Amino acid sequence: MSEKVLLVDDEKEFLEIMSERMEARGMEVTTAESADQAMSILKKKSFDAIVMDFQMPGMDGIEALKTIKNKNPELQIILLTGYATVEKTVEAMKIGATDFLEKPANLEALTEKIKKAKTEKMLIVEKQTEKKIKDILQRYGG
Amino acid sequence: MTKDKHELITGGMQFFGQMSASATHEIKNTLAIINESAGLLEDLSMMAETNPPLSPARVNDISQRVKRQVVRADLVVRKLNRFSHSVDRQTQITDLEKTVCFVLDLASRLIEMQGVVVKVIPPLSHIRVDTNLFYLENMIWKAIETACLAAKEKKQVKISFGTDADTPSIWFSMETVKDNLMDDLFGSKEDDVLLAYLNISIKKNKENNGFCLLWPKRF
Repeated sequence: MSEKVLLVDDEKEFLEIMSERMEARGMEVTTAESADQAMSILKKKSFDAIVMDFQMPGMDGIEALKTIKNKNPELQIILLTGYATVEKTVEAMKIGATDFLEKPANLEALTEKIKKAKTEKMLIVEKQTEKKIKDILQRYGG
Repeated sequence: MTKDKHELITGGMQFFGQMSASATHEIKNTLAIINESAGLLEDLSMMAETNPPLSPARVNDISQRVKRQVVRADLVVRKLNRFSHSVDRQTQITDLEKTVCFVLDLASRLIEMQGVVVKVIPPLSHIRVDTNLFYLENMIWKAIETACLAAKEKKQVKISFGTDADTPSIWFSMETVKDNLMDDLFGSKEDDVLLAYLNISIKKNKENNGFCLLWPKRF
């Protein structure tokens, strides 16, 4: 099954080429040019991973990451940025970013990270489902 | 080294770092597009071995995209190079409007990140001061950053110049400002040292939601 990826970046040309290359590798890619647009897409569709630029106009990367993680805790977020400091990276990982890649990125490395993120997400969803079943069984005396 | 000089140099280095980080971020964005364009060409040439031949229009489109990014990166490098030469001379005759426009251009990405629109109203005639260009740029950026931070709701900042040619001044005014913020603008030790070094004072105008950088009257 193909990986469903949401690609968020304010660089339109980057989105165009990147999504074309990712789709050629069998991924299903949706793009967003801002964090706000990404949020509204997330309300309607689910993804295996988000690949997001950390520094975009009108958006604090850390705040956006917090908001996305609060609403979708199981979502795997890979940060892709041209402006990486150790401080920011650590902060982002603490909030719940899955991984970090610096621009210009190697697409093969990114693909590997997306596949890993998909597996992680499946494990989380599996655990959540298991917990739900246990709760139901307990509630109804199973 | 005196404490004040240390403060001045440290502040200057922070300013230089902030501008360099912003410019290199933009260069990295262009490199990322160039890198992906090269990757796309590789993908397409590999696909062309088994699929229908590669369309010349498609190759031309990618080539144009790379050219656009090279022009964009070149502009950023030029700005950064001009900025690096700001430290060449201790003092020089400097045009205030040109310096303001250059700082706005240099920091355009940082301003865009804050979602603020800055408008410059040119002076009627050139206003020049004999000063240290690098620290003047530092002070102008501090003023722009302060104005952007103070502007609320309608995030607009207007920059204009005083009309009295004997008393150079740069005005920063906002449509609306955050409550009580006008009282807290400037006043840090670092601000004081920079202002004293450049022989500039700050004049606040609460009624007009603004402040100005004011040079002493010329005799």
